[in-house]
Amino acid sequence: MSSFSTPTLALRLLGREWRSGELRVLVLALLIAVTISTAISFFTNRIERSMTSRAAEFLGADMVISSRSPLPELYASEAAQQGLQTSAQLGFSSVMATDAQMQLSSVKAVADGYPQRGELRIADQPFGEERNTQSIPAPGEVWIEPRLLNQLELQVGDTLDVGYASLRIGALVTHEPDRAGDFYSLSPSVLMNLSDLPATRIVQPGSRVTYKLLISGSEQALSAYRNWLEPELDVNQKLTTVADDNRQIGNALSRANQFLGLSSIAAVVLAGVAVALSAGRFAVRHFDASALLRCMGLSRRQVLNLFLCQLLLLGALATLAGLLLGWLVQWGLIVLLSDLLPPDLPAPGLKPLWIGAATGFTALIGFALPPLLRLGRVAPLRVLRRDLAPMPSSSWFIYGLALLALCLLMWQFTGDLKLTLSMVFGGAAAAVVMGLLAWQLLRAFAGPLGRAGLAWRLGSGELLKQPSAAATQILAFGLIFMSMLVVIILRTELLSTWQDQLPPDSPNHFALNILPDEAEAFTTQLNSIGAVSAPLYPVTPGRLVSINEIPVREQVTKESQGERAINRDLSLTWSADLAADNHLREGQWWATETTDNPQVSIESELADSLGIKLNDQLGFVIAGQTLEARVSSIREVEWDNFTPNFYMVFSPGSLDGMPATLLTSFYLPTSERDALRQLSRAFPAMTLLEVEPILEQIRSILAQVTLAVEYVLIFVLLAGLTVLFAALQSTLDQRLYQGALLRTLGAQKSLLRRANRLEFSLLGALAGLMAVVASELATWALYRFALDLPWQPHLIYWLLTPLTAALLIGVAGAWGTRAVVNQSPMRLINRSH
Amino acid sequence: MSDSVIIARHLSKIVTSSEAELTILDNVSLSIERGSSVAILGASGSGKSTLLSLLAGLDLPSSGEVELAGKALNQLDEDQRAALRGEHVGFVFQSFQLLDSLTALENVMLPLELAGRRDARKRATELLERVGLAARTSHYPQQLSGGEQQRVAIARAFASEPAILFADEPTGNLDAATGERITDLLFELNHQQQTTLVLVTHDARLAERCSNTLQMQAGKLLEPGA
Repeated sequence: MSSFSTPTLALRLLGREWRSGELRVLVLALLIAVTISTAISFFTNRIERSMTSRAAEFLGADMVISSRSPLPELYASEAAQQGLQTSAQLGFSSVMATDAQMQLSSVKAVADGYPQRGELRIADQPFGEERNTQSIPAPGEVWIEPRLLNQLELQVGDTLDVGYASLRIGALVTHEPDRAGDFYSLSPSVLMNLSDLPATRIVQPGSRVTYKLLISGSEQALSAYRNWLEPELDVNQKLTTVADDNRQIGNALSRANQFLGLSSIAAVVLAGVAVALSAGRFAVRHFDASALLRCMGLSRRQVLNLFLCQLLLLGALATLAGLLLGWLVQWGLIVLLSDLLPPDLPAPGLKPLWIGAATGFTALIGFALPPLLRLGRVAPLRVLRRDLAPMPSSSWFIYGLALLALCLLMWQFTGDLKLTLSMVFGGAAAAVVMGLLAWQLLRAFAGPLGRAGLAWRLGSGELLKQPSAAATQILAFGLIFMSMLVVIILRTELLSTWQDQLPPDSPNHFALNILPDEAEAFTTQLNSIGAVSAPLYPVTPGRLVSINEIPVREQVTKESQGERAINRDLSLTWSADLAADNHLREGQWWATETTDNPQVSIESELADSLGIKLNDQLGFVIAGQTLEARVSSIREVEWDNFTPNFYMVFSPGSLDGMPATLLTSFYLPTSERDALRQLSRAFPAMTLLEVEPILEQIRSILAQVTLAVEYVLIFVLLAGLTVLFAALQSTLDQRLYQGALLRTLGAQKSLLRRANRLEFSLLGALAGLMAVVASELATWALYRFALDLPWQPHLIYWLLTPLTAALLIGVAGAWGTRAVVNQSPMRLINRSH
Repeated sequence: MSDSVIIARHLSKIVTSSEAELTILDNVSLSIERGSSVAILGASGSGKSTLLSLLAGLDLPSSGEVELAGKALNQLDEDQRAALRGEHVGFVFQSFQLLDSLTALENVMLPLELAGRRDARKRATELLERVGLAARTSHYPQQLSGGEQQRVAIARAFASEPAILFADEPTGNLDAATGERITDLLFELNHQQQTTLVLVTHDARLAERCSNTLQMQAGKLLEPGA
């Protein structure tokens, strides 16, 4: 009896089932799963690309390879071969001197194509009108920062000696994209053409030069190139990408990605619940068919294969349709939001399609397979005894597999193993707690409800009759509400974190190199122009040279982030008080002046990357003198709030006698350019850095992320509601029959309506209660283990969630079961047999 | 006994509940000849449906053995018994057991398709014509009356030309007149196809139309079969 072809017959049966409308709920659930995850993936993928490309402006390229020695030709040629754009660059420090003045400057020799990302802006005169330029200094020309003009007492058009080359000052640089990210660098910058470099004779063996190769291009090419490059890099060569480069953007981006990833997970879980419920319903409705097929001579395996084959076909079709729909949804969204999104939104990659398809099949295999496996175990005897239902699947292997698949899928979404694991274990623990709680609550309700009025008894009777079945339903609805609630809570938290991070009066200017004897005059003038200023910090450039008397170079590996801190001068400061936004992680802040025994407080990330512990002895070279200081505390620093921050803060008096200037940041509306000019003229030695463009960029990125977050939330809520209806549908059969029976016995429509409303509201309230308990658990786990945020209970949701859930399920349930009240009872009874 | 298509020896079925053991079938032996029609008659709860399920290999006895179409059922596993059913056995049930999601025609086609027959649609259409439902082929079970549903079930049972047909209260859910017509149809097709018919019923008039009648009472066979 195996002469039929399973796929052909499966397809035929599927077609027949489709026509009879039996498959709608399952298909709908799958379609939602695939559509939502594809749409979210597409949307976030495009927004993420847009955000990344904006963030790339801070780097001037998509990635940069840098080294102290010349980079192999192969790097550029391989990049070019992979279709990437390359541009060489060389940076060094050099003293610019005129007859009267000299000034240490950082020189950047650039080639055509610089900058690959972001804008270079120049002006012809100090405070003159700025303009964007696509070009670089012509050979024989330099473009310099306006303050260098002041410091060297030069005019545009004069010549400037760079090493042995005399170059004409062609323009003033007002904005360098790759400069903006590093406002702690003190020396003014000079931009020259790479072809003039030999003439300067500055680059000699042993000279301190940084060679850079800027690389940009398509994501695939970049990733292929990166894979090729990484094994090639030697100890002295370093690859920087957008993600590693900028703290402010990096944090916002990574949190946003985590959130979007989590939302996608929530959507997948929602869809999974829907698929599981509708597959369960599908299975139950096919027990008879399965028994009949066994009577007709099919083996267990054949029956199972027949249904699995149908399932796969169904999955493939729903997935294809879902991918298409998902694409359409994100396309519609992008069109709808075109005013708010950047005009040059990059095209999406193919990854979302893959994720969408994987979601469909994971949901199908993970959530639909276990209920369908029961179909293979239906006893043929069921044709004579309808009460014979197969045992529910106890196959831990299948559920384990589903859980694993879900983990992998989540990991794919979030790219964050820690987040995924805390989600999965938090979620699993929450589900167990929810299930047990639901069961207990139902048992507790049984007594009082048994003595209530008829409508109450009828309504609750359904739930109390089979507590485990009701607990399953409550768990399913609870999971749905929990997914939505977690996303709502995270979104609120995320948005407020971002708003706190960049209030409208965030400092948008940094003033460096303020001379100590000008401090008072500077503060007075700053106040007079109405600027909101941070305190003035003394700054002394110095270099960290040893840790516990061992030279620091011997201790620091290539991978360590600390490398950035030891290869250049750090801005050292001293302070009697701990800055308001710094927090001590270890040690104690000094109480009194300790001139004899210098102490230093080090920033925690740097300490970790250099392996510095409390009470270590650090050696510095400052203005040619050495200084030893004991680490008396380790601080956590908020790098993303645009106030002056320091890796090293010394105890007062430690740096006495060292040359120092002052530094501060302040807020001044961009419209006040005149005031700014006056400030510059009054304090010619001062360096004024405008960080407004960076702020603007970050704000625009945050605005985009916020938008994405809001829309993803809407997606999740919509998915949740749809799933809710699908889930209700799957519980209707039994209720319809019950209702019909009651009407046959003479029950009034109004009684049935009330009983239905009560039953569903009760179900909703319990599910809402479960959801809020589980959400608190899940957010606690997420905050604690993945997001590094402080957690507080969300009390308002303890009230709102059960109420909303009772209302939603009550209304939806009453609407879904209106057939019970409106249809002829006879017809329903006929149908159920 | 060489022409017996069903042989049962000392069949017992005992179910154990939490309180006690319940003997549903007690030491039943019988033999049914090829081409005969046998009615198993008894009141509700007499064990007749259990006997049918054991004879058809839908369930296994607690003790004793059944030989169906020359094969000892207790030596076959579930899947081998299923294959045996597919080859030799057809069923008609009291509750029709039509698949709701398939039309009348598709329901009749199903066993033919399972047997891999290419003429499934043609043969199913012919059978539906023979049971008088030529005009209702594309109707779903819900759109058919009880009698019509049972006719579809009969057409389906005969579709694969089984050697043995088990019928469990085939007229139980039908009114007397409809039941009469269904019985006529059943015996007519049985006669045409030379099928062995095993019919479980509590209706003595239906039993009378069979060549043999076995009487069940409290799990025992009152008169040994021919």
